[in-house]
Amino acid sequence: MSYFFQLVVSGIVVGSIYALSALGFVLIYKSSRVLNLAHGQIIATGAFITYGLTVWVGIPIFISFVLSMLITFFLAMSVERIFLRRLIGEPIISVIMVTIGLMSIIDGLIYLTPFGSENFSFPAFLPETPIIWQGVSISYTQMVGVIITFILIGVFSWFFKKSTVGISMRAVSDDQLASMSIGVSVPRVFGLAWATAGLSAAAAGSVIGNITGLNFGTLHAFGIIVFPVVILGGLDSLLGAVVAGIIMGLIQQFASGYLDGNWGLYGTAQVLPYIILLVLLLFKPHGLFGTHEIERV
Amino acid sequence: MSANRWLATGNYFTTYQEEQRIFATSLDRLFCACFLAMLFLWPFFYEFDSKYMLVIDNILVAVIAILGLNLVTGFAGLISVGHAAFVGVGAYTVACVARAIGDQHVVITHGWPLMILFSGFMGTIFGLIVGLPALRLKHLYLVMATLSFQMIFEWTIGFMDFFNQGQTIYVGRVYWFTGEVGRKEHYLFWYYALLVVVVVCGFAVRNLLRTRHGRCLVAVRDNDRAADAMGMHPGFTKVYAFGLAGFFAGIAGAMHAYLYRGVGMESFTLHESIQYLAMNIVGGLGALTGSFFGPAAIKILDLQVERLAEWAAAFLPSTMNLATALRPLSFGLVIVLFLMFEPRGIANWWRILRSYVKLWPFRY
Repeated sequence: MSYFFQLVVSGIVVGSIYALSALGFVLIYKSSRVLNLAHGQIIATGAFITYGLTVWVGIPIFISFVLSMLITFFLAMSVERIFLRRLIGEPIISVIMVTIGLMSIIDGLIYLTPFGSENFSFPAFLPETPIIWQGVSISYTQMVGVIITFILIGVFSWFFKKSTVGISMRAVSDDQLASMSIGVSVPRVFGLAWATAGLSAAAAGSVIGNITGLNFGTLHAFGIIVFPVVILGGLDSLLGAVVAGIIMGLIQQFASGYLDGNWGLYGTAQVLPYIILLVLLLFKPHGLFGTHEIERV
Repeated sequence: MSANRWLATGNYFTTYQEEQRIFATSLDRLFCACFLAMLFLWPFFYEFDSKYMLVIDNILVAVIAILGLNLVTGFAGLISVGHAAFVGVGAYTVACVARAIGDQHVVITHGWPLMILFSGFMGTIFGLIVGLPALRLKHLYLVMATLSFQMIFEWTIGFMDFFNQGQTIYVGRVYWFTGEVGRKEHYLFWYYALLVVVVVCGFAVRNLLRTRHGRCLVAVRDNDRAADAMGMHPGFTKVYAFGLAGFFAGIAGAMHAYLYRGVGMESFTLHESIQYLAMNIVGGLGALTGSFFGPAAIKILDLQVERLAEWAAAFLPSTMNLATALRPLSFGLVIVLFLMFEPRGIANWWRILRSYVKLWPFRY
């Protein structure tokens, strides 16, 4: 039984990171209806900035964590300003293509740095021995990661529920024309959505980097795994992203815990989310919490 | 009025039949025939290094794949981020047969035209399956469906022993009427084989777009509800577009497998899918000529990038692999710049050039 609970615990750890990664993705989709395929690259960038500030500049890790969130905030904002602002009003297909192009560009830029080819790991700043309780173990890094994730998710949901900027973002996602008429600057909201997405991506990247080490392949794979997560949760629902993130984490852990090694299967955790995605697209494309759009094919 | 079909300085169509002709003027037809003849004849007069011959062959393989991608992304307006996986389905069909009955079996070496067709059909089947969500969904979601197909494909190849875990699976040399195609004439032989397939596929697509089955793709892209009102089924049309794309991709994949005499995973990754998209965008989405310009432009760019990386490697520490960095960077930049400044791609330049020549010496 402790094996089961171990899987549950690590599923929640992985899942909460998925939730944090998916949060930024949903933010962008919710406000501007853009599928951001470059999200994994932004996550990786955030993680690398944190590492650079911590190790090469020598800033304490918690401060560099916040700093990197701020830097990525402005980076993502400028990406929106430079590339996506001039595409407002273009068909959605070219906007998605631009994010594909961006994904490729950031890939190239990261391969230019040492991060593209080598693996790094954050210096340990927490006790190395895991907490073991009733045969279920969780390391301090994982625990701090989960705590940070939930704090951030809390902050974000407060931000959207209560703050003026958050409310204006929700207004834009609801009806662009109406929000323009009451004085909300729609382009500014788009910029802010990208910026907040960058911020949450940097946080996700840093947490992942602390838990798994900095490997570009693993980090940018998080940008692709968010697709099954957001579809399961419903593309435009923040709550859905969180719930679906944790469900997806649990599914992956159970798959690698119970399926691998039996019936000649292994590595099922990597493929199961995508199979679920395909099935969901066929039968329940709006996910658990997404709004049902009336428009159909 | 029967217009002069040789020296028309504008379009004077009076019937839809005229408007739907493959070549607008006889001059176009003549140029196209001359160009094709040149493509077939130049190897008799000039011999390229086999390295460059491979690049030319690669361009032709990509042209076949892009003809398919252009049908689904350009004409039907559904983004496919998994086109390399469809090409991979074709290549791995050949590889599967090679693996099951041996890579020197007569089916592989003598029956290669049938193998190529068969791969096309396998591609169609997978295209139809992946396109199924299109029955219900808009293209936003289809991006995800194709992406997940790409991931599932990569996983399947990478984790199964039957596929050699993504390592190279060999495919034997083929036979022609003159006997086995040896090492020396390998690239030249496949140049001709590919050229024939490209010409056939090109005319097939051109003709398809003149019939109702091709025009319904464009109709569904432009306004699916209007298309629905006119009696087309938008969902089925989209699934059918994916099937068509899968067919061309499958053929391209099989040709790729024969050309390289082996199938390995590295040619069918997500990066390759993005490269195909880049080719399509650079060439021009929804323009048939774009399917030819795009692959040529991107492959030549790729060659130049490689050359630059080789040249720069002398000045850089040896641990740094500049080519892996510059490749995605250049493709990304090309995609973004073309989308921002010339969304209609090189095909648009070609159109402008043609209308300039056609109207010469008059101007607008």
